Amino acid sequence: MEEREIGLALEMKRVSKRFPGTIAVDDVSFEVYAGEVHALVGENGAGKSTLMKMLAGSFDDYTGQICINGKEVKLHSPTQAKKYGIGMIYQELSLARPISIIENLLAGRLPRKGPLLDKARARSQAKGLLAHVGLDLDPELPIEDISQHEAQLVEIAKVLGNGPCILVMDEPTSALSREEVERLFQIIVQLKNRGIAVVYISHHLPEIFRIADRVTVMRDGKKIATKPIGEVTREEIVQMMVGRSVKEFYKRDERKIGETRLKVSGLSRFGFFHDVSFEARRGETLGICGLSGAGRSELAKVLAGLDRADEGRIELDGAEVRSGTMADALSRGIAYLTEDRKHEGLALRLTVGENIMAPIVDRLSSGSVFSKAKGAPLAAELIGELDIYPPDPERTVGNLSGGNQQKVLLAKWLASKPKVLILDEPTRGVDIGAKMTIHSSIEKLAREGCTVLLISSDLPELVGLSDRVMIMRKGHFTREMGFGECSEESLLLAANGALGAEGGA
Amino acid sequence: MADDRSLGSSSVGRLVSAAGVYGIAALFLAVGALLQATGIIRGFLTIQNMLNIVDAAALVGIVAVGMAFVTYSGHFADMSVPTTMGFTGYVCIELLRYGFIPAVIVALAIGLLIGLMNGFVVGKLKANPIIWTLAVNYVTMGVIRLIWVNKQIYPDMRGSGQKAVELFDNIYRLRFFNLIGLPVVMLLVLVVAGQFVMTKTSFGVKLKLTGSSLRAAKFSGISVERVITTAFVLTALTATIAGLAVTSLSRVGAWYNGAGYDFKAVTAIVIGGMTLAGGRGSILGVLGGSLIIGLLNNVLTLLGVGTFSQDMIRGAIFIVVVGINAKSLRSLGRDDA
Amino acid sequence: MRKLGKNSLLAFGDKYRIYILFALVFAFMSLFAPRFFNVFNITSILKVISMNACVAIGFTVVMICGQLDLSIGTVITFAGVLALGLKPALGYAGSIAVAVVAGGLVGVLNGLLVAKAKINSFIVTLGTMTVLQGAIYQFSGGNSISVSTPDAFVISDFLGKSLLPLLTPRILISLVLVLAMEAYLRRTRSGRNFYLVGGNRNTAWLAGIPTDKYTVAAFVLSGVGAAIGGVLSVLESTAATLKLGENSLMYVISATIIGGTAMSGGKGGVLRSVVAIFTLEMLYTGVILFGLGNEVKIFIAGLILAYVVLYEAYATYKHENDLGRRPELMKELEARRMAKEKA
Repeated sequence: MEEREIGLALEMKRVSKRFPGTIAVDDVSFEVYAGEVHALVGENGAGKSTLMKMLAGSFDDYTGQICINGKEVKLHSPTQAKKYGIGMIYQELSLARPISIIENLLAGRLPRKGPLLDKARARSQAKGLLAHVGLDLDPELPIEDISQHEAQLVEIAKVLGNGPCILVMDEPTSALSREEVERLFQIIVQLKNRGIAVVYISHHLPEIFRIADRVTVMRDGKKIATKPIGEVTREEIVQMMVGRSVKEFYKRDERKIGETRLKVSGLSRFGFFHDVSFEARRGETLGICGLSGAGRSELAKVLAGLDRADEGRIELDGAEVRSGTMADALSRGIAYLTEDRKHEGLALRLTVGENIMAPIVDRLSSGSVFSKAKGAPLAAELIGELDIYPPDPERTVGNLSGGNQQKVLLAKWLASKPKVLILDEPTRGVDIGAKMTIHSSIEKLAREGCTVLLISSDLPELVGLSDRVMIMRKGHFTREMGFGECSEESLLLAANGALGAEGGA
Repeated sequence: MADDRSLGSSSVGRLVSAAGVYGIAALFLAVGALLQATGIIRGFLTIQNMLNIVDAAALVGIVAVGMAFVTYSGHFADMSVPTTMGFTGYVCIELLRYGFIPAVIVALAIGLLIGLMNGFVVGKLKANPIIWTLAVNYVTMGVIRLIWVNKQIYPDMRGSGQKAVELFDNIYRLRFFNLIGLPVVMLLVLVVAGQFVMTKTSFGVKLKLTGSSLRAAKFSGISVERVITTAFVLTALTATIAGLAVTSLSRVGAWYNGAGYDFKAVTAIVIGGMTLAGGRGSILGVLGGSLIIGLLNNVLTLLGVGTFSQDMIRGAIFIVVVGINAKSLRSLGRDDA
Repeated sequence: MRKLGKNSLLAFGDKYRIYILFALVFAFMSLFAPRFFNVFNITSILKVISMNACVAIGFTVVMICGQLDLSIGTVITFAGVLALGLKPALGYAGSIAVAVVAGGLVGVLNGLLVAKAKINSFIVTLGTMTVLQGAIYQFSGGNSISVSTPDAFVISDFLGKSLLPLLTPRILISLVLVLAMEAYLRRTRSGRNFYLVGGNRNTAWLAGIPTDKYTVAAFVLSGVGAAIGGVLSVLESTAATLKLGENSLMYVISATIIGGTAMSGGKGGVLRSVVAIFTLEMLYTGVILFGLGNEVKIFIAGLILAYVVLYEAYATYKHENDLGRRPELMKELEARRMAKEKA
């Protein structure tokens, strides 16, 4: 590993992977040189993650050829992938929470002395790995006792500890602070100098321009292009990703913003967010921007009655809301679209119609007798309006594509006719068509006078849809930006704490 | 993007599986008839035997119809049923001296309390339903032993509540048209009511959502705690009804009165096509499952198979059915995501 | 470097909870319960717990794997009945081997159904429990089985005689098994793998650990442990009643959770479970020594299980509630509180 190897570390030739009803990766060829940082970009659902999972040995039924260091290999299990030196850093953590850092770092390869474990050596190895990513923690601590971004770094340390020759990072910076991101970039440069091939998946284009040598763009399961990073501009990458120019994407109509509808003052849920105050008006779309873990979803859950506030006041149309349950908040017209579609958003085993009617079961019942017929026209109307495919309320939601599932989720909350709709990552993981439909539906909702709170990590979306954006950082509201001053860059900087006053804290 | 898997499996499949239970029941009946025709067993196809089958199925069925709500809510089963049955039987006999109605009401109230408690602990605190209800079963057993010190009690035929005792003794022996016993009538009423509640009421819709995905139901503004509590209360109430029936029919209050009903009921439920994953199945299927349990026991008994072997066979059937259910759900890709 | 929690005394207390509890109960009983603190009584407690200690060995491993085995009670009885019932035909060597192997086979069946058929472990073991219940009655005809041949009494006397104060061969065997398992789980790679499988199946799978094999192995250990417990018990008493394992399930589940093994898996240890069994047995003996009846004992045992399940549920609930709280925000809160107190 000391000498710099030249040549292809990884070559994937015309690989494809089908899932029932869809081709996730369609005839893609992908090459990475040793000592190269190769960025892989694309909209959610473009097939990046599937391509990389193929490399990690998650599937045993892909087609095409994979060569590592010039030799053809079959990657049908994670063990095989690991043997060939492939390291994966997943978006969602793959650590065991009740287990100590040591045992997570050295899972399956704890050092031994004779038949017994060598605890001292395990400890020093673990400390070494932690130091490499700049963590100074007691390695005996279980994962559940450290914070999420520390866990993210432990995950990275764990994969590096396996000594990979090809390293895949899937959105490694999403949970990290700025300093930690810098640290990660230093590590990547070191790895690169050691001749390791790095595949870097990210939505943050500035990061890619900083760190990558080449970039490959994917869309709808196909490879669009591979270019040296110096030969493309951000706009060109975005254009390849979405398949059209970004400018036409957000067309703003005139908005009519009415009187104050939601007034939140001094709201806290201890340890999650403190002393949050804002007002949102009728017909207004208020964006809430922040890194994940900044307390955005926790704020939303308190507003929706899913969690209790420890202090503070929520007023709706001038009357205080003291709801302790979501049913209560819902009956007053506050609805919450969760960011976790698969677990919290939809009952995947039930039909489209059943899911859409879920929040309005009581409204569709007279006495306690439920009338499906009463809800059917509404469901049909929403399926039509959101262009849900297939347009069949009897279809099981779990069999729909991600984008259509997300539309069903939105339909469910449109059906409840809310006064205030809180949207938490409303377009995460959906294709571009669904995204446009969802956006126009949000705009229509605002035009009709609904107050929309839009929580999103998708900066163009925030900029495009919001009338104002509140920046949330580490549990506090730090700044407010009007439509004019919002740009992707300014939001990103503000969310990272580099712009404006810290306020409050 | 979407495919057509759902069509075949959801609507047609559901119909087939509901009808299938009765198909299996018919098959058992045919096998019984065949065994009789070939002279291997005797006395299967008599009116008396058919009544026996239906009577035996009725008691299991009453418990199963209630417990099905717990299963449908995705909380598997209520293992506190046996002692709920035993305990309420004791209480009722003790209180007969104050009259029939008060005794029954107090027994039902106790059932209600046990159900409320189970519902709160499982629904609100999210305790593992099987382990929690097992613990409750032990505690209730302890209460029975503390109060009645291992003694069985008999209705006092001479005391102040003589009329009540007579009524209690006879009511479950009531036979309409000299044929259909009260437990059977009760079962049919409960099945009709249960099927209605599960499919036509807002509670039923919420229960289905809760059973299919507890978190999605919660995030749709459904008070899942209340839904789950109601399911456990319904179970405890039907267990009480069955407990009183067993006590009345055996004329004795005993701690073992409900023994085995927990497992028989949950077996009837899964045979009836309700999956332990929740949100699938119907009360009509559960009725079919109860009939199969009754038929199976009857045929095995006539074949000379002992009760203990019957337990083994029932346990084996339970495992096989649950295994097949789990496998078919998984092959459809709809295992709990 | 950040170490265990902010309040290290509390963390220490939490980590060694079961040992502290044990010491407290032991001290209390020694001081107040009549006829508690003497060699005879404590030996008899050790004898009583040696069966459930064997059972807890495997049961704890199953729970560390994140599963549950409800069939242990019936496996105990089944093995006991087989060991004595087959003795006339096979001799002790044969009958004991059959009994232990039978326990292992039940474990294989449970494990395969859980790992391969992917059925919930408590559903599977509920089923096997019923099957075994039938098998026990079928095999024994519903009666206790006892042997009264001379060799039976020789073995019985041997297992029960005092080697040292507090130590009979049966207690010694159980102790050795417990300590061996504890060492295996703590100090070997494959022992640690059980924790990884229970802590996060996916992590274990990605690390190349055959998770299914570990799951099956855990159930086999549980079956074999329960069988050994049952066999040793009937060998000493020369009789196998059909109620032998009746209360073990409640007993061992309670003890394992009290010992600090989480129902969600990935945490815990065998020695802790056994110390918890000891603690519970002292309590129950105390109940009897204070002159309360067996009914009270059963009632209290039930209450303890109920309490333990509640506590575990509440702890999980609270943990989830606190998950993701930002430490710096909590500090800020603390600072605000201090400022208020000053003013």
